[in-house]
Amino acid sequence: MENSIVSDNRTKDMPRENVDSITDEQIINDLLPQKFGKWGKIWVGILVAICLVGMFAYYRQLRYGLVVTSMRDYASWGIYISNFVFFVAISLVGSLITAVFRLAGVHWSTPLTRIAEVIAVAAIIFASIIIIVDMGSPERFYFLILYGRVQSPIIWDVIVISTYFVISLLLLYYPLLPDIKILLRFKQTTGKRLYKFYSFIGSFWKGTAQQNKLSEKAINILCITIIPVAFSIHTVTSWLFATTYRPGWDSTNFGAYFIAGAFLVGAGAVVVAMYVFRKADHLEKYITEDHFEKMGRILVLLSLLYLYFNVNEFLTPYFKMKESESAYLNGLFIGDFAHIFWFAILAGMILPIIILLFKKGRKPLPVFIVGIMVVVGAWFKRYLIVTPTLLHPFLPMHDVPASYRHYFPSWEEWAITMGSLAGVCLVITVLTRIFPIIPIQETLNEQHEIAE
Amino acid sequence: MKSLNKILTGVLSFILVLTSYNGFSQAPEKGDLNIAINYFIINNKVPYLLIKVNTKVNGKFKNVAGVGLKLFLDKDSMGTFIGNAVTNEKGLAISYIPTSVKKEWGTSVKHTFLATFDGDKKYNASKADLTVAKAKILIDISSDKSVTASVFEMKDTTWTPVKGVDVVLAVKRMDADLPINEKPTFTTDSTGKASGDFKRDSIPGGANGNITLVAKIVDNDQYGNLVIEKTVPWGAKFVPVNTFNRRTLFATRNKAPIWLLFIAYGIAITVWGVLIMLVFNLFRIKKLGETV
Repeated sequence: MENSIVSDNRTKDMPRENVDSITDEQIINDLLPQKFGKWGKIWVGILVAICLVGMFAYYRQLRYGLVVTSMRDYASWGIYISNFVFFVAISLVGSLITAVFRLAGVHWSTPLTRIAEVIAVAAIIFASIIIIVDMGSPERFYFLILYGRVQSPIIWDVIVISTYFVISLLLLYYPLLPDIKILLRFKQTTGKRLYKFYSFIGSFWKGTAQQNKLSEKAINILCITIIPVAFSIHTVTSWLFATTYRPGWDSTNFGAYFIAGAFLVGAGAVVVAMYVFRKADHLEKYITEDHFEKMGRILVLLSLLYLYFNVNEFLTPYFKMKESESAYLNGLFIGDFAHIFWFAILAGMILPIIILLFKKGRKPLPVFIVGIMVVVGAWFKRYLIVTPTLLHPFLPMHDVPASYRHYFPSWEEWAITMGSLAGVCLVITVLTRIFPIIPIQETLNEQHEIAE
Repeated sequence: MKSLNKILTGVLSFILVLTSYNGFSQAPEKGDLNIAINYFIINNKVPYLLIKVNTKVNGKFKNVAGVGLKLFLDKDSMGTFIGNAVTNEKGLAISYIPTSVKKEWGTSVKHTFLATFDGDKKYNASKADLTVAKAKILIDISSDKSVTASVFEMKDTTWTPVKGVDVVLAVKRMDADLPINEKPTFTTDSTGKASGDFKRDSIPGGANGNITLVAKIVDNDQYGNLVIEKTVPWGAKFVPVNTFNRRTLFATRNKAPIWLLFIAYGIAITVWGVLIMLVFNLFRIKKLGETV
């Protein structure tokens, strides 16, 4: 069966490269999950190795306690919490690409939805894990559930993260059902175990009108629900800081500041993933240069927005330079943290804006590089949100050991953090091995609609 | 030129030798101590002495700790020994008048206290004395919230009212005493009485509105320091506002504010209700698939 694509109103919103004649079978063959090649296996091997080192470091932390970390009385939150905030931020991408674009009637983002959902699920899983790691003994999480106070933003965070995780899972699962029906047709290529798994999770999907109607309705409800929940998760995470009276955290701007940053890092992660999957799975026909062009524009907008919030967050305190906050602010601008601070501002916001303002800068490779800059800058930005504040308390430090005055993560902290980052990549890699990274049925439907 | 150098070298060497020889150095000069004796009777109980010791360093008075003092009644080493006292870090030492001097105490209506310091490596020997007359102060109140202090001096064997003594009438507070009205002191009349109207009606008292009135003679040349206290229910009753067991944002989990519970559970139930409905929706889809 061959569909010749005819240009109509919808095609104006579609990348030109899509407006080619592609058969259904071609699309399906292109988009089926592919087995790991040599590089894929090496990639997975490296990720597993990093995760194992992280697990060993966590074993040491469990055995000897949090003393193996560099966290002490003042810097009681370190890179674990920075990493947690980073994961929470990156998970927002699920709601941006899937929900916001879907509700806004943006069709060009269809090939990117699954990437966004997979990143969201992986990030939120490890956000939950890393927060338990930060607690020291994991049973404290159990006690948190048993004895937690509903007045505490920490409990709100636990509730909203678990809610967001379930919504993200459902938002990944519902649109997968039609694809699973397609995957079940390829028993021989998928292998026995995967076939069993597909049968278990989606053999009931027959694609009837009633099933489609129920699924569409559910996806729409999820898209509406995920937006306020996503906003809540970032706002509540920001409140973990903003409800505490400390230099740099005592801000009414924090909720919006976190959401703006989360949108930016999420979009950055998507463009990185887009480029990698496009190259690795040869998806140039589906993730086109036009997608990078459009995502590049979105990145500019989000970078400008986040830069605006940063100006708000730092310029007014700098202008006033209150005595109690001066050590903290000077530490960021010209002190111990200045190199990280200016790196995060330049690499995470200003350079992306400059590069992406040019058309050549919105080509796949530059966008990919900008995406990496945004993600790395965002990670360091989270570190700057957490650590400098804790090392500059309102009341001066007196009679404390020298190690309490500084914070540099121990190897165990680095290993666990790197392990969690590798874990996110591993979950994304495994999910893309099992499921099509671009929704097959939705791509087919769009092709058919355009053809008609 | 060479000979000049030799002479200079020789002179310098001689000066160096002289300066390094400590046989010429003098012993460090000892400091002088200031000793002040204060006499106290609180609520007409056992009198005690409060001795303050300081010294002048670079034009400023500095309290001296660890100064050992010998205290005597009426005469020094020849007289009645009260006891030893050592100053604390604030330069203060306290000594109650012991029962061992009761006999001497009763022989006269006036007494002289002596404090002597024998001197040590740092300070010269020093001594001070204070003479006080036996006196007592009483406090009385009336129904119209007037406070009266009466001051008596022991003359021969009888307590005689004293005229012209400045008395402070005040309310005892945590850190300092608050005068009962705008007047700082009251002077006794020929009957030995000094009265003042209590004008601190709204002052916070205890749970029953109890406050402590104080009548005191402060640093009087003749009588020293005399203090008498009386508890009266003239203050405002203090009703503590205890938020411990109330529903607040900072209370325990069982005492969360109702509005917060309503909002938090409302949101959670609504969102999770939708999610549960969507999970059931999956079962509906599954059922539809099985019937095809």
